[in-house]
Formats: sequence, structure tokens, C-alpha cells
Amino acid sequence: MAYFVLLLGVGFVLGGLAVASNPSPYYGVVGLVLGSVVGCGLLVSLGVPFVALVLFMVYLGGMLVVFVYSVCMAADPFPETWGDWRVLGYGVVMVLMLIVGVVFVGVECWKTWVVTVDSGSIFVGRLDFSGVAMFYSLGAGMFLAAGWGLLLTLFVVLELVRGLSCGAIRAV
Amino acid sequence: MSLLHLSFYSSFILSCLGLAFHRTHLISALLCLESMMLAMFIALTILPIEAQTPSTTLTPVFMLAFSACEAGTGLAMLVASTRTHGSDHLHNLNLLQY
Repeated sequence: MAYFVLLLGVGFVLGGLAVASNPSPYYGVVGLVLGSVVGCGLLVSLGVPFVALVLFMVYLGGMLVVFVYSVCMAADPFPETWGDWRVLGYGVVMVLMLIVGVVFVGVECWKTWVVTVDSGSIFVGRLDFSGVAMFYSLGAGMFLAAGWGLLLTLFVVLELVRGLSCGAIRAV
Repeated sequence: MSLLHLSFYSSFILSCLGLAFHRTHLISALLCLESMMLAMFIALTILPIEAQTPSTTLTPVFMLAFSACEAGTGLAMLVASTRTHGSDHLHNLNLLQY
């Protein structure tokens, strides 16, 4: 069962590699979606499903949707994908650098076990639910600070896209 | 080191390299930044699991909220760059070039 978690870890690295090899943005978003789906599977396998669902909703359902329609502005007439030698060269060189780094550290010190939530004993009150519930009790000050920061970001974004005219809606 | 830790370390390093060796588009660099944030989120979630401390579960949730702010600001700058230069190609940002 630990090998399944490590397989999801390999999928996470492949998702990161798919974004880092800088294909056309249409295909880079595919790598990011793969990475976040596999990361959610990883977190569920480790025993924290609430944090995985938060990742799904906020990251995949919020941020990536905004990225996907912003990619429409970055349209290429001939998009380069991973079959192109330019993108594939980047990917191969990065994998080689990763392998050189791993071999340099030494392969015999890797541990193949995984620590999950229930490694010590079985808990009735789950770790992630009770941890994030502290948002509203002891972490209320930080909660308010985060809410204020998000409101501030709204005004920052509105100011950045204002342009020369006084309206927020404008054709690009 | 655990092999699970290796997976998100290497994903973070690969995304850093992808950000450093950017190619044409500004949005590809922003996607590499998002991938770095994802690797950091997974890393921050491993901490409460291994140390069995529930209160540190708050850290990745806050980090996600602030990284959403950062993504929104980056995309606003992308829109501003497209309005000024017509495209989001990185060679358009050459004011400091000699």
C-alpha cells in the first residue's frame, strides 16, 4: 500500500515536469491539472481528505479555471507540445539533472515507507477536520487577517487592470 | 530521506528550473509558479500528518488563500502586459535591456 502512495508521488513529479518543460500554455495547464489531481489522491491516501478537498475546490476549481481562460489571451498559432524537440529537450535535461542530484546524494539512504495519519493509533476526531476547525476558535485573528488580505487583493487586481479608462470592463 | 519527501522536493525544484529557464510566454512562467505553490502545499500538509499535530493543518490552507491572491495579481499583470504590448511574450518586457 505504501507503494501506491509512492506511485502517486511519481505522478506528482511527472506533473511538475510537464509544467516545467514549458510547452505551449494549453499543455502546461494539463500538467498542472495532473499534478493537482495526483496530489489530492496523495493527500487522501495519507489520511487527510479535508485538506485534499480544499485543494480541489480552491486550486483546481478556482485558480486553474481562471488560468485556463487567461491562456486564451496567450494563443499560439502553432502550439508546441511535448512531441516538439524544443520542449522535449527541456524535459530530458531536467530529468537528467534530477537523476544526477539523486545519485549524488546517494541512493541507499532512501526509505520506502510512508507515515500516515493513523500510524500511531486510531483517532475518532480526525486530524484535518479538527485542525482546520481551529480557524474559527484560536485562529480567528489570522482568519480575519487573511480575509482582509483577500479583500485588498481584489482592489489591487482592479487597479492593475484599470488601464487608462475609468471603467473596469474593457475589450483587450 | 523518505521517498515521499523526494517527490515534492523534486517537483518544487523542477518548477523552479522551469521558471528560471522560461521560454516565450509570461503565462508559462506563472504556471511554473503555481506548480511551486502546489508542491509547497503538499509539503506543508505532510507536516501535521507526520508530527500528529492538528493545529499545523491551518498552514497549508492559509498558504493556499495567499497563493490565490498571488495568482490573481500575476494574471492582472498578464492582462496589463497584453494591453500594452499586444501579446504576453517575455521579450516585450525589455525596458531594462541595454
